[in-house]
Amino acid sequence: MNAHRDIMTGLDATADERGSQKIDHDIVSALLVFGLSIALILCSRFISPALGSWDQVLTVLTLASFLVVLSFGQGLVILIGGLDLSIPALITLGGVLTTNWIGTGDFGVWYLLPVILVVCALVGAVSGVGVVWLKIPPFIMTMATSIVIASAALGYTNGTPRGGSPSALLWLMKERFLGVPVVIYFTIALVLLAWAIQSYTAMGRRLYALGTNREAARIAGVTVNRLELAPYAISAACAGFVGMMLVGYSNGATLRMGDSYMLPSIAAVVIGGSSILGGSGTFIGTVGGAILLTSLGTVISAIGLSAGWRTIIEGAIIVAALLVLRGELVVRLGNRLIAWKR
Amino acid sequence: MKLFRTLATAASLTLAATIGMGTLVQNAQAQDKKFKIYLSLSYSGNAWQSEAANIVKALAQTPPYDKTVELKEVISGTDPQAQISAYESMIQAGADGIISFPISSTALNRTIHRGCQKGVLFFMYDATVTEPCAYNVSYITAGFGENTAQALVNILGGKGKIFLSRGVPGNSVDKRHTDGAMHIFNQYPGIKVVAEYYSFWDDRTTQQETAKALAAHPDVDGIWAQAGEYGAIQALLAKGNKLVPMTGENSDGFRLALADPKMQAMGLKGVSAGSPPATAGYAFKLMMETLTKKRELKPMNIEYPLPWVPADQVKLCKGDTFADGCNVFPASKVPSSFVTEVFNPQFLPELSLQSALEGKPTPGATIQPLPAEIKQAPDAPGINCSNCKAPAGEYKLTKIEATVKP
Repeated sequence: MNAHRDIMTGLDATADERGSQKIDHDIVSALLVFGLSIALILCSRFISPALGSWDQVLTVLTLASFLVVLSFGQGLVILIGGLDLSIPALITLGGVLTTNWIGTGDFGVWYLLPVILVVCALVGAVSGVGVVWLKIPPFIMTMATSIVIASAALGYTNGTPRGGSPSALLWLMKERFLGVPVVIYFTIALVLLAWAIQSYTAMGRRLYALGTNREAARIAGVTVNRLELAPYAISAACAGFVGMMLVGYSNGATLRMGDSYMLPSIAAVVIGGSSILGGSGTFIGTVGGAILLTSLGTVISAIGLSAGWRTIIEGAIIVAALLVLRGELVVRLGNRLIAWKR
Repeated sequence: MKLFRTLATAASLTLAATIGMGTLVQNAQAQDKKFKIYLSLSYSGNAWQSEAANIVKALAQTPPYDKTVELKEVISGTDPQAQISAYESMIQAGADGIISFPISSTALNRTIHRGCQKGVLFFMYDATVTEPCAYNVSYITAGFGENTAQALVNILGGKGKIFLSRGVPGNSVDKRHTDGAMHIFNQYPGIKVVAEYYSFWDDRTTQQETAKALAAHPDVDGIWAQAGEYGAIQALLAKGNKLVPMTGENSDGFRLALADPKMQAMGLKGVSAGSPPATAGYAFKLMMETLTKKRELKPMNIEYPLPWVPADQVKLCKGDTFADGCNVFPASKVPSSFVTEVFNPQFLPELSLQSALEGKPTPGATIQPLPAEIKQAPDAPGINCSNCKAPAGEYKLTKIEATVKP
């Protein structure tokens, strides 16, 4: 048992020079993404005088909060080399169960909200079982889960989800404290917690090890199979929670409420500096990616061009941002930071 | 050799069984003459689509159709190829009629044409096709865009900054609505469209896109919206305690808001019009009357009347139907995204709220005949006909008059 524990501490990043160097690069790229978002919001003043204001920042952060929560789960799945395509269906599941089981009457809200999250996590765990033990590629397994869950939701609601939002969720999404929407405080707290889990706990470090080299992680004593389940369950719970947030945001659920989040959830992770092949990246970078994508959407929609052109510009900026973030700049800034630290 | 003999016996047995079953099925059909009707949806999952499908299902179970109609529902998704292959299978299976929401106005034409030649009746509801052998039943030509635009212009006194919340990019219905609206807005130099975005006829998307547009233009004076309009109200409410005049479609949430004194005090005025799911029920009854030879009807474009409910005419329903001219349900009965126009006391007296929500027939109801008269729709190129010309005065106002001179 002791030997086992020693191997685990061996995975700790502090003892590993290469590890710390890699994290520094990650932090540089995260800082750059945040810088880019801020620059984008400031520059948007040239498009419309109302842009670049504190109010716009709050709008962007509120809209980005959905993507931030989603991309934590998606990021963990990508970290271990998988991909979660069941996110839209689980958003719908979370939303539909919230309006159907709890609804405007606040029936049992304090225990039913956690129960719904557990239901979503279990669905994610089923995807995980398919991937880990039945060796079905994550892409196919999560897609299958997605189809089953979406169809179950259609059958369960007869196509028209009933009920509205519990008051607790309305409070979360609509109330303001000191002029700032409550959901922004909430998201910041969640980000700090998630960042700590991903970067500083043993589980987080093991996930990095698993994503870098599964076989090596296994030999080093990581119980790979059980560990590989966790990201799928967490991702599903995150999606279910976003379903709840969306219910509060627009006071109701629809069966297609998650559709527009599939690709952005992956894009936020990749723009934030993670490798789509797994094993690298930080959650702070992903948060930056989510905010960058959302602010870009806000600014672009204010340009007085036709919809086709707006989408072309949006695509071009995303590619350009990726090239800048990946390139020499990150490496050079990172190296300087390391030299300065020494 | 023994294996071969076993296989041969098995094969002949299967063949005999198949033929036998075929004869049985034929006999059964000859005896009670059930009409084989297919309901073909392109996609499902939003309130409008489910309500329209539920109405058809409820009518098919209402006597006497419960005994004479065998209804099968097929949902094929958002790409035309899937719906083409769904139609093909229905024609193969010997359909008498196909009632459908077509995903494309042109892509399905060849398959429909082949089906018509085999004697299948095609009734399209809401969305339309340009194939002349199909029946189109729709409100599209009834002038949603121009009438709502004029209503907004009247309220704004002919000047102000407005948003356009549109539908699905590239869709012929969205184009017809927006063309009609722009025909009006362009006549008023004081009206400035400061933001135009696609909301995919969805509440949530409308809310997020409107929130983005509000970040750039907090001083907007009015919103012209297609379906999803309740999302625009939510976006305005999230921003502060100011609402602006708005036109939109038929969601329960929007109608309740229009009639709410609190919302009115915050600045909400407007009109609710647009696409009624009841069209599906009207199309189904027309098809059944044609199939049962109660009505002589050649393939044509039929116009469903445009619902038109200004704020002062919103009336809360006490029961589960549109009785006494009521046109909205309390929030406790239906979600805000519920599309209210599921009823039509004249065309569809058989329906109640349970029909629209769950596809169940109303207890005790029987199918009532439709009024003999039907309204032919004007030609709309690319929407309900190809190689045709729109009549002069295509965007003539029918529901409202201009109170402000351009």
